[in-house]
Amino acid sequence: MSQKWTSLLMAFLLGGLAFSQGPGEKVPSVVMAPVGKVQVRAGNTANVELDFRIGSEFHINSNKPKSELLIPTALKLSAAEPVSVVALKYPAGQDMSFPFAPDEKLSVYSGDFAITAVVKAPAKAANGDYPVTGELRFQACDRSACYPPRSIPVKFEVAVVGR
Amino acid sequence: MKRNALVFASLLIAIAAMLATGKYLDRVHRRATAKLVGDVRGIAAPNFELTTLDGQRVRLSDYRGKAVLLNFWATWCSPCKVEMPWFVELQKKYGNDGLVILGVAMDDSDAPKIAQFASEMGVNYPVLLGTDKVSEEYGNVEFLPTSFYINREGKIVGKGTGLLGRSEIEDNVRKALASPVAGMNNAQTSPAGPRRVKAQTTAQ
Repeated sequence: MSQKWTSLLMAFLLGGLAFSQGPGEKVPSVVMAPVGKVQVRAGNTANVELDFRIGSEFHINSNKPKSELLIPTALKLSAAEPVSVVALKYPAGQDMSFPFAPDEKLSVYSGDFAITAVVKAPAKAANGDYPVTGELRFQACDRSACYPPRSIPVKFEVAVVGR
Repeated sequence: MKRNALVFASLLIAIAAMLATGKYLDRVHRRATAKLVGDVRGIAAPNFELTTLDGQRVRLSDYRGKAVLLNFWATWCSPCKVEMPWFVELQKKYGNDGLVILGVAMDDSDAPKIAQFASEMGVNYPVLLGTDKVSEEYGNVEFLPTSFYINREGKIVGKGTGLLGRSEIEDNVRKALASPVAGMNNAQTSPAGPRRVKAQTTAQ
């Protein structure tokens, strides 16, 4: 069978599979922009800006929500030794009120936001690439409903250079 | 020419097969993950057994003969907090008519924290500890608050997803309380279900 026919059949197969999606299913989306390889000199630190985008209809709690009952946005990272993540800098939340509680201000992120991870390569670190992996946990709401907490994977690579 | 016709026919068969596969997968998906999707009115509410905050086991079937407002919520859900005082009022107002409100907490938190929250909110109805199983049984409760209004026969007469207005909630409660003699149509279409029942009864 020619490639053209194969492609066409694949397109129909995908079309058929699309029917298996339930109608009206709405899932809050938070996506991370790709991060290029981060270079850090042995014995130094580097700031890594991780950019996230929240789906337009949604907001998520900031890292410091105003109530202990609310689930904060939190990033957990783990670096391959001897590289380490020594600090995470979260942006301040926006104080916003919503139709479901017009008199209450919530501290939230919406649209785009960035978290800065500070990575450190010890002086003894050998040159090479070191993966940093983890997840961003968040709990999203729209104007009338909230969604269970979710996590998305976070991954980037640190290149230790110049030893 | 003959070859083209053969290719065209094969293509049509392939399309039909793909669409049928898609439809089949849709049905399987719905059966497997979302028993209650779309218009759920008239469907028997799935029975469940859950634990209350004080450790009692409760089944939905324990409330047969009552109208049940089954409210899925969580302590981290701000819109859910808005509805709770309304539920407290409705429980007082319609409790003697046979309304039972059941709050199903979908928190990961432990029971004492949920109990403290419920107490601070003045909740006067049973709060049950939700499970993934009951969420699946009720169509994978994806967002909170989600409420099901169940009539005295155990059939769903309404569903509310997201924060509804108080009057809309009360209308649904009235539908659930309406006599089952009226059948589903009255309950679905009119907040004045009981009056219609009376009219029908009189006519007979």
